[in-house]
Amino acid sequence: MIRMRRVTKVYKGNIYALEDVTLDIERGEFVFLVGPSGSGKTTLIKLLIKEEEPTSGQIYIADTNINQLRKWKIPYLRRKIGCVFQDFKLLPHKTVFQNVAYAMEVTGKPRRLIEQQVPEVLKLVGLGHKLDAFPDELSGGEQQRVAIARAFINRPPILLADEPTGNVDPSLAEGIIRLLEKINSTGTTVIVATHDKEIVNTFRKRVIALENGRVIRDQDKGVYGYE
Amino acid sequence: MNRIKYFAAETWASLSKNLILAVAAMAVVAVSLSLLGLVVLGWNMFSNMIKNAERRVGEIDIYLSDLTTEQERQAIEDFLVSLPEVDPARVIYKTKDEALKEFKERFRDNPELWENLEDNPLPNSFKVTTKDPKDVGVVVGTVKTQAPFLNRIEDVRSASAAIEKLENIFDKFRQVGILGVLALVVVSVMLVSVTIQVAIFARRREIGIMKLVGATNWFIRWPFVLEGVFEGTVGSLVAILLVMAVKVWILDRLIESLHFLRMAITPGLLGLLIPSLLLGGLIIGALGSAYALGRYLEV
Ligand SMILES: Nc1ncnc2c1ncn2[C@@H]1O[C@H](COP(=O)(O)OP(=O)(O)OP(=O)(O)O)[C@@H](O)[C@H]1O
Ligand SMILES: [Mg+2]
Repeated sequence: MIRMRRVTKVYKGNIYALEDVTLDIERGEFVFLVGPSGSGKTTLIKLLIKEEEPTSGQIYIADTNINQLRKWKIPYLRRKIGCVFQDFKLLPHKTVFQNVAYAMEVTGKPRRLIEQQVPEVLKLVGLGHKLDAFPDELSGGEQQRVAIARAFINRPPILLADEPTGNVDPSLAEGIIRLLEKINSTGTTVIVATHDKEIVNTFRKRVIALENGRVIRDQDKGVYGYE
Repeated sequence: MNRIKYFAAETWASLSKNLILAVAAMAVVAVSLSLLGLVVLGWNMFSNMIKNAERRVGEIDIYLSDLTTEQERQAIEDFLVSLPEVDPARVIYKTKDEALKEFKERFRDNPELWENLEDNPLPNSFKVTTKDPKDVGVVVGTVKTQAPFLNRIEDVRSASAAIEKLENIFDKFRQVGILGVLALVVVSVMLVSVTIQVAIFARRREIGIMKLVGATNWFIRWPFVLEGVFEGTVGSLVAILLVMAVKVWILDRLIESLHFLRMAITPGLLGLLIPSLLLGGLIIGALGSAYALGRYLEV
């Protein structure tokens, strides 16, 4: 499903965010991407949705080399990849409902379907009562869950979640990962970038560990492993 | 249908956020299009006036001194009839009394012009018509230099000289008008474009997010295009109302009270002008947003 071959990303100022990363993630896998702050987790996610371009190396998604993807096809790539951004990236002038609905509107889904599915999904993340709130009226954890709802409203084959438990207490964090697990069980490939040792050690999934932009460990049913 | 509703809502939200600028843009569109409308109407009125005058273009009036004797008058008439360019059947002598009667008839609605006359200021005259209107100049020249009793001839006038002068004036008027309208149209396109640029700038973070969740460029662009077209269209509607008001309350009254000038607005012109102004507003709006989108919303 996702193949990275010798991918290096150098930001300006000669900052090596990723260095020589090669990895394969199969359809239907659940992967934790772990590593200390600044190790390159967010950069890896940005490369997968073409928010950033790799400095060298090749990235394939569903056998398509996305380096060579035509510009006008990028939106269609992004519709196949739901993404929960570390900074949420909610639209400030739209309500919770409209934020989630937007991801359906861009794909031209009929209004009827949007009005039925958006409240359903928001109820699933525990925000059924906040449909008409604006992002700045929500707590960090609530905004995070809106971002999650938006990321999988279109049932994408791939779901990327960057620190989806970063702003919630441990019990809610576990609930969110269970939700991602449930989404994963319907066949969606899920990648979760996280610092959360507790969560990684509890769920025992495949763990890919980054340090200074390099993959230092790739382990099935792994543990967080940094001390 | 769903999409149209969505785009309309987006457009409205964006418009109401920078209302002052949007209103300024609509006002400038309205001013430039109403000026365009008025130049067209004004020019039409004058060109109709000239056309009506041109029907008399082959005519030459030769005014005689009151001291002219009957022999002298006869000699001059014989000379006029003998000219090869002149239609001999249409050399008509008009006495000063006939001239005054005609004048009173023509200005019967403005009796203040003639009521208080003590004696008749109008001269006796010949009205001569050339066979071909373009010979008017030759005949005027011949009469002025070769006619007998030249000292009895006070003036030789043809409509064509006056018309030529008028045409020159109105051509200037038209050129200045068209230049002014063109400049204003350019300014309005620029102002619409500025409002769209401001709207894009205010929402650049949102636009970035929209792209990240899979919006195509056109999905993002449409609300901005609509915003520009809306501004242009509202501006043109205001312009249409203004032009109609000026026509009904000023131009129609002017035509009526100066009816002897025989100005007129071609029937059906308004039916053509109104949709053209509407289309003009639409195009100004579309051009303005296209320019802003091309420059500030990179694909
Ligand atoms: N746009 C950028 N320009 C320059 N340097 C950048 C940019 N984005 C990230 N970096 C740098 O690249 C490195 C990797 O950053 P990245 O955001 O991928 O880390 P991360 O693993 O997501 O960290 P965190 O856990 O804190 O979110 C860091 O050193 C960071 O400072
Ligand atoms: Mg990060």
